[in-house]
Amino acid sequence: MHPALFFLLFLAAIAVCACIANLLTGGMFLEVSNAKAIFCNCIYPCFVAWALCFMFACGYTDLSLGGVVVLGSFAACACGNAWGYPGLLIGSLVVGTLLVFFNFFIFAFTKIPSWIASISLAMIYEAIAVFLRANTGTRTYFAAELNRSLRGLALWPTNLIVLIIALLIIYVLYNRTGLGMNARAIGGNADVSKVLGININRTLLCIGLLCGILVGFASAIQESYNVLTTAMSGLVSLQMIYKPLAIALLAQVLQKRINIILAVPFCALIIYGIFNLMTFFGVPSGTLQDLVLGAFLILFGAIGQKGTKEVVK
Amino acid sequence: MSGPILEIHGLNKSFGPTYANRNIDFTLERGEIRGLIGENGSGKSTLLSQIAGIYPPDSGEMFIGGEPYRPKNVQDAYARRVSMVLQELGVVGNLPVAVNVFFGRTKQFTKFGIVDVKAVNRATVEQFERWGLPMPPLNQNVGSMMIETRKMIELTRAMSIEPEILLLDEVTQSLSLNNRQKLYALLETHKKLGHSAIVITHDVEEMIEICDTITVLRDGAVVGSVRCDQTTPDEVKYMMVGREISGGYYREDNDVNDGGDVVLRVSDLSVSGELEDIAFDVHAGEILGFCGLSDSGIHAVGRAVFGLSRHSSGDVYLVPNDLHVTSPTQALRNNMGYVPKDRDAEALMINASIRENFSLPSYTEMEGAAGFISPKRMKKLSSDMVERLSVKCESIMQKASSLSGGNKQKINLGRWLAKDLKLLILDCPTRGVDVGVKAYIYTLMKNAQASGIATILISDELTEVLGMADRLLVMKDGRITKEIRRDENFSEQSVIEVMI
Repeated sequence: MHPALFFLLFLAAIAVCACIANLLTGGMFLEVSNAKAIFCNCIYPCFVAWALCFMFACGYTDLSLGGVVVLGSFAACACGNAWGYPGLLIGSLVVGTLLVFFNFFIFAFTKIPSWIASISLAMIYEAIAVFLRANTGTRTYFAAELNRSLRGLALWPTNLIVLIIALLIIYVLYNRTGLGMNARAIGGNADVSKVLGININRTLLCIGLLCGILVGFASAIQESYNVLTTAMSGLVSLQMIYKPLAIALLAQVLQKRINIILAVPFCALIIYGIFNLMTFFGVPSGTLQDLVLGAFLILFGAIGQKGTKEVVK
Repeated sequence: MSGPILEIHGLNKSFGPTYANRNIDFTLERGEIRGLIGENGSGKSTLLSQIAGIYPPDSGEMFIGGEPYRPKNVQDAYARRVSMVLQELGVVGNLPVAVNVFFGRTKQFTKFGIVDVKAVNRATVEQFERWGLPMPPLNQNVGSMMIETRKMIELTRAMSIEPEILLLDEVTQSLSLNNRQKLYALLETHKKLGHSAIVITHDVEEMIEICDTITVLRDGAVVGSVRCDQTTPDEVKYMMVGREISGGYYREDNDVNDGGDVVLRVSDLSVSGELEDIAFDVHAGEILGFCGLSDSGIHAVGRAVFGLSRHSSGDVYLVPNDLHVTSPTQALRNNMGYVPKDRDAEALMINASIRENFSLPSYTEMEGAAGFISPKRMKKLSSDMVERLSVKCESIMQKASSLSGGNKQKINLGRWLAKDLKLLILDCPTRGVDVGVKAYIYTLMKNAQASGIATILISDELTEVLGMADRLLVMKDGRITKEIRRDENFSEQSVIEVMI
């Protein structure tokens, strides 16, 4: 099937499912306010999911992104309250970029498997965040709420414009630039990439910078949307990325037919739509909703992998 | 311009304590096609890799057109118009064909940091057409393509710089008859342009046919060079291994061993997009050959019979075990073995040790009384196999990835020889192995035949199936088009007539 046709069918399927959900909820699912709420929830996870797409492409998995988002949100809050929107953006972008770049530096040069290294880094970032919130000297900045006049970034229709611009830029970066191609090549076959003259470490660090910018921006949107970010230790920050992770995985399943970057916002809508629907049906948030999401991902993954050939090992 | 295009003086390369190349002196003339031959692990690929900028030499000098040449990487080599097609696959599976052809060189199609994919596609089409190579779908990711198609993509990439020196490392072994002919035609064109090539192949007869001269390597050193019009295959083989290897390593009889009990019965087997209604029996002690052109479906037969691909209809029945084979696990547990063509991607655990690779299919046999796998037995099995197959390695704990292509193939095949088999499926078993090992593999096949093992031999080399099979099934477009028995008109001509 032609990819464009598949994409249209995919959109049609989403529309049909949304209509069914609307019928089931007595017309509440597609009410403007509810649809807007679903959409607004999707913005921050889309940016993190795009960062994860780049990471997956070059063979890395970074589980510390939740910790980075927490610290990035702190910086967004502190700098935003001090200098307005420029502070909000610069604070989160600087912290996000520096930390994710540092993560990639660790992955690339220590050769520790990224998922192992990133769990250790998540613990460190969480500990720093808890310290910043609890310390009497820093509490004023990091336990404070973001000034409510700085919520515009996460509100309709600014968030739609931000999402469309970001989608276009990230699509081009992933599919039409040497950096995107090199990242995918490294994930596909690092040895061949090296033989063909690709500087593996330089590419990885560039991808680290790019992912850092995306995560930094996600932190700004997250803070702008939620106004306050809490900090806890014990790998609680993983909760910040489990939905983006689900979105990225779903997009990865679809990538045989739909470009992964393009698929991300639609997968976000699907996942947040499912959560929203479950809330309408009175399914308790937390455990039971997570159970449904987990089952949905496995089912979707199994369908997506259908026909994949086995190999003799 | 006159004088040699490439000169190499005193080149040395070692990996740890192992000498790969010793004091190599080598000269390549303009417009010359040079064959490079030697046993597995004799240093052929290492030599080409140094010329191509993949490895730096430890010492020695190289000159191109009289100018010093010391490439730091492949891009440096490209700049001096030297390109190579690697023995193992050198494509990136998750990128499309066109990007693979110009991978690492997409800057020429980049404006303001954005790659013009349409321009890359156009340039790729031009290259495929220019060199007369079959064009795969340009926007499809390479990972889903057959090994042969992937090789053609690599070849197009190498040709896209219009190289003055083209290095081909065992490329023909991955190609079927029709694509080999295309490669030979490409080499002719390349030569007419006044450009040179160095070709590695283990097929001595092929090498004599397509090359002007042959240089023989043994244990990392040059043994000598001969002109192709002044030598014979036996002389080259003798130079390679230092002992007589008669050209007649195939079977010499014309008997058909199909009188034994039926071991495998395949009926009306179809695999979506690959096979259509194929049916055949294999008998105990029989070698059943499969041959055909690149898209004939011969390689799909091995996968389907071993349960690796989903059967859309039909049945694979292992008669002695009363088993309908639908999965590789069943096949493995019921005395079936499968040697795939793509050893790196489908056969070997490339980052595991030689010991693990040899032991993997035999874990059940190596269990002790308490059901635990005995490291002692693993060590014994792998050490025995290393010795029996003369695998060139430092120890059985060496990673499979560090072995030469031929030595990897010895493991790919050898691990099945340690098992008690009823049916062995061999897909291009001699791909990338030298004449000595080839002769040994054929001896093993003859022994297997004598001990009643049924063998399915799938091969791109017509001489191989004609030399070894009792019956030959010729395939075209996923169907069996003809069966030829060894005691009938068993000749290349009769097969080619049906294949094409």
